[in-house]
Order: sequence, then structure tokens, then C-alpha cells
Amino acid sequence: MSIVEALTADLLARVYRHLSCETDRKAWRLVCKEFHRVDSVSRPSIRVLRVEFLDSLLRKYTRIESLDLSVCPRIDDGTVSILLSGAADLFTPAVWRVIPPRFDSVKWTGRLRRLVLSHSTGLRHSGLEQLVRACPMLESIDVSYSQGFGDREAAAVSLAVGLRELKMDKCLGLTDVGLAKIAVGCPRLEKLSLKWCLEIGDLGVDLLCKKCFSLKFLDLSYLKVTNDSLRSIAPLISLEVLSILGCSLVDDVGLQFLGDGCPSLRVIDVSRCDAVSSSGIISIIRGHDCLEQLKASFSLVEVTPSLVDSLKDLKALTSFRIDGARASDCSLQSFSKNFKNLSEIGLSKCTGVTDIGIIQLVSGSSNLRLLDLTCCHSITDAAVFSVSNSCRNLTCLKLESCSIITEKGLYYLGSFCLLLEELDLTDCSCINNTGLKYLSRCSKLRSLKLGLCMCISDQGLCHIASNCKNIYELDLYKCCSIGDEGLEALSSSCKRLKILNISYCTRITDKGLEYISKLEELSDLDMRGLVQVTCLGITALAAGCKRLANLDMKHCQSVNDSGFWALAHHSRNLRQVNLSYSNISDLGLCMMMGNLTRLQDAKLLHLSNVTVQGFELALRACCMRIKKVKLVTSLRYRLSREIIETLHSRGCKIRWD
Amino acid sequence: MEDLKMDDEEALCAETWLRPSSGNSIRQPNQPSFTNFTLSNDQPEWEDPSLLDYGVRIGTSFSKYSFAPDQDGQSLQSNNSNSKRGEVNQQINEVLKIGKAQDWDPRAMLNNLSFLEQKIHQLQDLVHLIVSRKDQILQQSDELAMQQQQLITADLTSIIVQLISTAGSLLPSVKHNLTGPTAMAIGKHRHISEILCNSGLGLDATNISESHGMGPNVANQVEPTGDTAPSHHPLDEPELKEEDDADEGENLPPGSYEILQLEKEEILAPHTHFCTICGKGFKRDANLRMHMRGHGDEYKTPEALAKPNKGNSSEAMLLKRYSCPFAGCKRNKDHKKFQPLKTILCVKNHYKRTHCDKSYICSRCNTKKFSVIADLKTHEKHCGKDKWLCSCGTTFSRKDKLFGHIALFQGHTPAIPLEESRGVEGLLEQGETTGGEKNRIDQSINFSFNTESHNGSRVQNIMDMKGSIDDPSSYLSPINYDSFNEFSRAAFDDPDGGFSFLIPGSCNYGQKNGGQSCYSDL
Repeated sequence: MSIVEALTADLLARVYRHLSCETDRKAWRLVCKEFHRVDSVSRPSIRVLRVEFLDSLLRKYTRIESLDLSVCPRIDDGTVSILLSGAADLFTPAVWRVIPPRFDSVKWTGRLRRLVLSHSTGLRHSGLEQLVRACPMLESIDVSYSQGFGDREAAAVSLAVGLRELKMDKCLGLTDVGLAKIAVGCPRLEKLSLKWCLEIGDLGVDLLCKKCFSLKFLDLSYLKVTNDSLRSIAPLISLEVLSILGCSLVDDVGLQFLGDGCPSLRVIDVSRCDAVSSSGIISIIRGHDCLEQLKASFSLVEVTPSLVDSLKDLKALTSFRIDGARASDCSLQSFSKNFKNLSEIGLSKCTGVTDIGIIQLVSGSSNLRLLDLTCCHSITDAAVFSVSNSCRNLTCLKLESCSIITEKGLYYLGSFCLLLEELDLTDCSCINNTGLKYLSRCSKLRSLKLGLCMCISDQGLCHIASNCKNIYELDLYKCCSIGDEGLEALSSSCKRLKILNISYCTRITDKGLEYISKLEELSDLDMRGLVQVTCLGITALAAGCKRLANLDMKHCQSVNDSGFWALAHHSRNLRQVNLSYSNISDLGLCMMMGNLTRLQDAKLLHLSNVTVQGFELALRACCMRIKKVKLVTSLRYRLSREIIETLHSRGCKIRWD
Repeated sequence: MEDLKMDDEEALCAETWLRPSSGNSIRQPNQPSFTNFTLSNDQPEWEDPSLLDYGVRIGTSFSKYSFAPDQDGQSLQSNNSNSKRGEVNQQINEVLKIGKAQDWDPRAMLNNLSFLEQKIHQLQDLVHLIVSRKDQILQQSDELAMQQQQLITADLTSIIVQLISTAGSLLPSVKHNLTGPTAMAIGKHRHISEILCNSGLGLDATNISESHGMGPNVANQVEPTGDTAPSHHPLDEPELKEEDDADEGENLPPGSYEILQLEKEEILAPHTHFCTICGKGFKRDANLRMHMRGHGDEYKTPEALAKPNKGNSSEAMLLKRYSCPFAGCKRNKDHKKFQPLKTILCVKNHYKRTHCDKSYICSRCNTKKFSVIADLKTHEKHCGKDKWLCSCGTTFSRKDKLFGHIALFQGHTPAIPLEESRGVEGLLEQGETTGGEKNRIDQSINFSFNTESHNGSRVQNIMDMKGSIDDPSSYLSPINYDSFNEFSRAAFDDPDGGFSFLIPGSCNYGQKNGGQSCYSDL
């Protein structure tokens, strides 16, 4: 206690700054009042989960520069108005003379640099405009996946004159006009993401490039832009990252423009551009010998010798993805000759990849960190051996559907690749417990996917659990032999587990779930088809895993209402839930939907015990905050028009199945 | 310059039948830069009182001219001939200057000219021979005279063609100014034009001049510089600049086209095809062609009755331009800065739009009025729909225009319309865009078909420059060569050689200069 008192607030703040993890910061806050005070005055960012605390939080954290409201339901124009009610005075000096402005209440707006409003459904342009006007220092705005946003919202965003970073992915209403507003209003823009803004065309992009010269990052993925846009982009001197993923109207002619322009280009993604061929990619390569990342997944038919030849010039290339192309052994061989620095290679779904090709590829690329060999069906343990032997620094290896790989391969991995953090062995059906034992030597493993590996059992899982303490993601989808004992081992040692998939591991019972409930950090649990699990297991889970945000209980038919009540009572952080084919009743559903104030996405198919009135009530209970709901089509005409209209007017998307 | 000597001789002997050939021979070397010649080179001579006198006389005594040339004609002739030696020299100098401007070898031009000179020498000898013979035999039979004349005309023609082809190959694009004078010179004799008419070449020439109540003789009367005396063109430098700036489509040189003026009643009549002789209107061109049979046998030929083949004939045809009958209108031929209208449809639309009440009112907005129903229909397509609006209040019918505007002006942004129903409209506008482009292409085709606009305006400038001719630098400008453009094109496009295109020019010239002054004088 004396030590703590000896530390000044300044020193505490310095220590505090080194805390990166949210749980650590929470622990800090709980130490004492002084620590809590340090937290509140020095905390730079805040991510609000429930709107009811927003106002008090903003008053407390006066120094925040980043406000994230993306996981907070029920943000609308009215909320914003109330939040800013004090701020309005600040900008009308005439009022000052009558009522002195309450600076304490509005302090946060003056410092705010970053605003995250993605996935917002209730907010409209007037609220956004108020927010943007109130925050003069704004540099970054994220309104991605706000599907109702359009030109008016863009006009509101464009009032942030100092804006440097803007994400508007999937703002479906955004057109060239809105983009023009932004281009004119925010001339200092450096990062702009317009993925899935389907209405944007060449004219808008052209104007953007004429007005925002300092653009460094531009994402135009899936837009209907043509070569004309690339012609407009070419003069951007500072552009470093360009993504034109899935722009099917762009072809080699457009890439030629890029090849001749954009002198600072470092990263380019031309994946899924169907009209692009290797000659277009060569023309980019010719113009930019400093290219660091080149992604051309599912664009190329074949890796031609001329392409590989031209790649020689790219001395700085670190990442290269040609997923889906035909890659012959000899083309892979010439890769390894040319790239000593290459750290990332994507060859997923490439045809013609053999052991020989992989052996030749990795022989020269000792710095490889990421290797994606998803669906390279014909590679064997021999390839895995050479990969492990040559690339000792490998951190991520994806071997999904490389079904010939056996425990031998894992032995090599466990022997040489001790830095491995991520391994995907989905559908490698020859993997057995022995293999997992070898693999468990990779103690840094964080993500392990073992879905559909039928041969592994609790024994193997125990090996992993005992050695890989850092694991945070584990996929055991349809590993039918896994039972409660495996989960016991897991829960006792892998305390950092956040994402767990135990769907269709039908041997798991309530006991297993009790073990799982000891995983305090668990946020995503996929437990489909656990027919042996009853309300007891669920109650334990709900009581233990307070952080649970995503829960999939499809086909958990043995769970009755008391289980759901427990969920409704304890799992206040639940955001997504799948209750399809469960035995929930009207009452249970109403409790769930009404009580879970953070719930945003619910899948409610084939609930045999729920009546139409039950649905009606449940939807009414959550209609102010739910963003997505999935219902059977037959309900479409049985539910009252009123509730459907209310949901729609709140921006909720109903998927009829 | 032997031909000039001949001119002197000709002036002395005053033989009627010689005049055309002499006239031609004089002008031949001048042709490439005829405008210069008439306009600038010898301005002092043109200011000679007798010349001015001549200008006045055009109107009154033209009909007698070819049959009994009186003293004025003679004196004019002599006046001209005195100065011609100098002219030709200067003419060549001009050509050389032009050559420099055009970036070709002046020596080559000189070679060509000396070659032509040789040819002219030969012809000169021939004429000498005839002249000496004529001195002996005064009572010459008409038949013989005719033969001689034809002989010389043929020679002259070949020289002209030669000259044109040299000039044409060097100067790639001009037409009308030259056709005027040369053809006019040839048309000086009724015999010749009749011969040409019979051969089908000079058809238009006679017809058109007849349609305006003048025989082919009108052409005879009007010397190329008939209205080029400074008194006729009081334009000075500033106005000339104005003409330059005016981008009102084409700017043909006066005299390179025929001016037709329809009466108000004709314009407002619901017809689109008009007889160029009597002005009667028809709804269908076929009916007009049937009607034309009444104007003479030449219209009864199967060729005349067949659908006009635009590709071949119109190129050689005289350009027709239209004047608005509304006095004081800029489109009226009496206006100082007359800007002719291109087609009858232009006349109709211009007259309705400018000089008629706007009787069609848009039924949607009830504010916009139109006098041309097509304008109303165009407006109704857009009326009431979202326009592309800029924050500065400017509206655009097309999105790309708005974006171009925004790109150009700092701080301007697109204004967002109240209701968001842009999708359909966007499509519509795209359609219109393509339509517009099509129109533009059509226009450009028409355009190149007719003439080049700057060509016309430049020639106009030359004409205007007479006012400021005292400034020696003014006529050294390289603009002159532009005037050959269309001439050379005609020469190469027409398989018949030099003559067919000369004829329309002659009438044309007569129309413009003589005809107009006739009207005003009478």
C-alpha cells in the first residue's frame, strides 16, 4: 500500500500507458480509487457497449480521443442531441452571456479525433452532422456497414475539414454526389475505404482524385468502376495502398495506367478482378519495383513464366498471393530464387501444386512467415517437412483440406516451427492424437483449427491443452470423439480461450459446459447440436462466462426454458444468438429478447414452442436495439404489419428464411 | 510576265471576244491568292475614280455590258492592266510568304510558277497570232471566232487546272474564294457558259443566277473587286477582332456562298422543301422534284428527278446559305456582321425563336414558353425532374457536366436533392448523353462537309483588312493561304477536273457581289 501511495499520478499514468490489453486495464481500474482516477484521466479511447452509460462515461473520461460506438445499439439522432446538448452552447457565443457553457460536460468533443460509428442503424444525417460539427479535431471517421447511409450522411461527414481517414464500406446509399461532397469538404483525406459502395462510379472517383491529392490508401473493392477510374488514380503521387478487389470492369488497360502512375504504390490488391490477366500485373510490376505486397488471388488463370520473370525486379516484395491460379512446379521454383525477403505466400486453391513445387518454393524463402496452402490437396508430409525445415520462423500455416498429411507432418512442425501461432488443419482427417502430441511442442500456438478431424479425441486435446497455454481460438467442429474430459483439460489450462467451436461434438454433456464456464474470457461459443446439454449446463455457462457475446445453440433440443432464463439473466453482453430448432417457449424468448440489452442479432428459426404472439411480443421487446433478425418466411404474413414496419423503421434487417 | 503585255494589247484593240481569255490569263497566276490580289496588293489603283465609277455602274448598265462594252468597262480594263504587272509580282511574293508559313519549300513553288509561266507564254503566242490575224481580217465569221475562243478557253482551262493542282497539293485545304473569281472569269462569256450548261457542268450556274432575276451576264459585269473598294467596307481593326471572337459556327467568306432569303410567309409555312427558283414550299422532296420539272427541261432528266445522291453532287454544288428576312437581325444579309444560316430548318427555327411569339407553354411547369414545338418537347423531357445542381446554384442536365464544374471551381459541391430518386434519372441521362453525342457527330460531319469555320473567318478578315491596308504588315500575314482550302479539295474530289467546280463559284460570286449591290441599288 505504501508503494502505491509513493507513486505520483504522473508515474502511474506512465505505467498505465503500457497496458495494452483491455482485461489488464480493467484489473488496473479495480485496484483502488487512485488507480481508477488515473485510468479515467489518461484513457485515450473508449468503446461503449451500452448506451445508457454513455453520457456518464463521457463525463468521466475527459481525455478520450477515440470514441467507439460500433457495438452500442440504440444510437440515434436523439441520443446524439442529448449527448451534445451542452456542446451546443459552446458554439453559440451569444448564449454564453446568458448561461455560461458547461465546459465539463462537453470537454470530450473538443479532443475527439476518432469516431467509430460502424454498423449503426438508428443514426441519420442530422445526428451525424451534429456530432461532426461538435468535434472540430476529428481526423478519423468510421461509418462502415451503416447500410442506410447515403449522400446526406456523406455531406455531414464532409463537414469534418481536417479528416484524414474515412471508412464508408457498404454505405449502400452513397453515390458519386456524396463522394464529391467528401472530396471537396475533406481535402486532407489520406485513407478512404469505399468497399461495397455500389453506386460509386468513375465520375466520383475522378473528382476524388482531383481534389484529394494526399490520398495514401484507397479501397475501391467491388465497385463498378472501370479503367477510367484507374486513369484518374494514376496521378496520385502519394498513394501507397490500392485495393480494387472484385472490380470486374477493370482490365489490363487500366492496370497499365497504374503501372505508369502512382509512384509511391507499395501495396496493391487486384484479387477477383476477372478481366485482369498476367500481362496487366506485369505492367504494374514494371512501373513499381518497390512494391511490397501484390495480391492477385482468383484473377489469374495461370502463373506464366513471363510473370515470374518480371517478379524478379521486385526486391522489396514481402507478400504475394496468387490464390486460385495454376502454379506449376517450375514457376514455384523460380519464385524461391528471386525472393529471399518474401514473408507471405498465398497459394490456396492453386491447382498443380505438388510436393516438389513446395519443396522448391520454400528452399530459398527462409523468411517465410505465412504460408497458405489451403486446398492444395496433393501435398504430403514431405512438403510439410521441407516447409518446417526451411522456414523456422513460420507463424501461420494453413493446410485445410490437405488430407494426406499425417502425424509425421505435425512431428516436423512440432520439431522445427516453434514460433507457429496459427495452424489450420481443418479436414485433415489423418491427424490423430499422436500428431497433436507432437504439435503441442509449438507452445506459442494461439489459433488451432481441427474441425472435421474425426480421429482426434480427449487425449489429443489434453496434449494441446497442457502445452499451448496461449491458445485463444480452438475449432473442434464435428470432432465427434471429443468429450467432457478434453474440455476439462482445456478449461483448466487455456484460460485465454476466447473463441471455441464444439458444434456436433455430441459426446459433450452438461459436465463439459460446466468446465467451459470456467473460461472467463470466452466470448464466442459455437455449440450446435449438443443434444446432451440441458438447462443445467447452460445455466452454468451463463453464470460463468460473463463475456459471452456470440452464442450459437442451434439444435440444442434438450435445453428448456430455465436455461434460457439463466442466459437472459446473466449473459448481459450477448450480442448475437442463434436459437433455431431449440425448445424455447414464448416466455423464454420474451425474457431473452427483452432482457439482453446488447442483443443485436438473433436467429430464430423453427422454434416449435413459440407462437406468433410470442414472436410478436419478443420482437416488440427488442425492437429498439435489434439490428438483424432471421425468421421463417411463414411468419412474414402472420406477424402484424406494425411490428415489421417498426423494425424496418429502426433500421433492423429481417431475413426471411 | 508576258501575259501582262498581252493585256495592254488587248486593251488597245478592245476585242470583245478576247476579254475573257485575257481576263483569265491575268488571273491565273493570281489564283492561289486571289483574295490578296483583289484586296490588298494594289489598293491605290482600286481607289482610282474610274473604278469607283465602275462600282456605281454595276447596277445600272450590267445588262448591256457583254453585248456592247462601253467606255467605262474599257477604262477599267486599262486601269487594271496598268497595275497588273506589279500585282503578279507581288502575288508571287505573297505565295512565297505563304509558303514559309506553311513550311514547304518556296523553291518548289517557284519552279511550279515558272512552269506555269511557260505555259502562259505559249498561250500568249497563240493569242498574238490570233490578234495579228484579226487585224488583217476584220470581217471575221462568227464561227471562226467561236473556234478560236474555244481553243483558248481549253488552253486556259488546262493552265488553271495545273495551277490549282500545284497550289492544291501544297496547300491542303481551301475552296471557295478562288472558285469565285476564276469561274466568274470563265463565265464572262455567255457562249462559254452556255456550252458548259449544255455539257451539264454549268447547270447550277445559270439556274441560280436566273432564280434571282439575273442572267449569267451579271457575272460578267461584276469584276472580282466590285465591292471591295474601301468605301464598301468601313470595318476597321477592332471590329475585325470581334468577328474573330464570335464563335458563331462557320464563318464563310462573303461571296463563297449563295444567299437565299425566304419570306416570312414561306418560313412560317408548314413546308420543309422549297423551290430554289420560285420559292414554293413542299412537304416532300419528291413533290419538289416533280415541281421542278416546270422550271425547264433540265429538270426533266432522269438524273434530276432521281433522289439526289448526296455523296457526289453536293460536294460540287454551290454552298447555299440563308438570310433571315427580319430587317436588322444579325442573320439578315444587310446586317453589317451578317452571319448566314445554314439550312432552311435553321431559318425556320431561327425566325420562330427570335421573331415570333412563344406560343407553346410547358404544361408541367406552366412557365417555360417556346415558339418551336421541338424545343418544348425537349424541355418537357427534363421538366420537373431532378437536375444536377451545384451548391453555387448552377444546374446541369448531365452529371458529368456538374462534376466537371465542381472539379474546376474551388469549394463548389453538388447539392443533394430533397427526394432521393436518382437511379432512374441517371439511366435516362445516360441515354440522352449518347443521343447528344450522336448529334454532335452528325454536326461535325456536316461541318467538315461544308467548310472549315476558321477558314471562313480568316478570309473574312482579309476582306476586312482592306480598311487598314495602309499598314504594310497587315497583308503579309499568313492567313491568306487558308482561302485555298476548299478550292483544292474540289479540284481533287471532282473527277471531271477543273471546270465543274468553277461554275458554281462564278455564280456565287456574281450573287454575292453584283447581286447584292444590284438589289441595294435598284
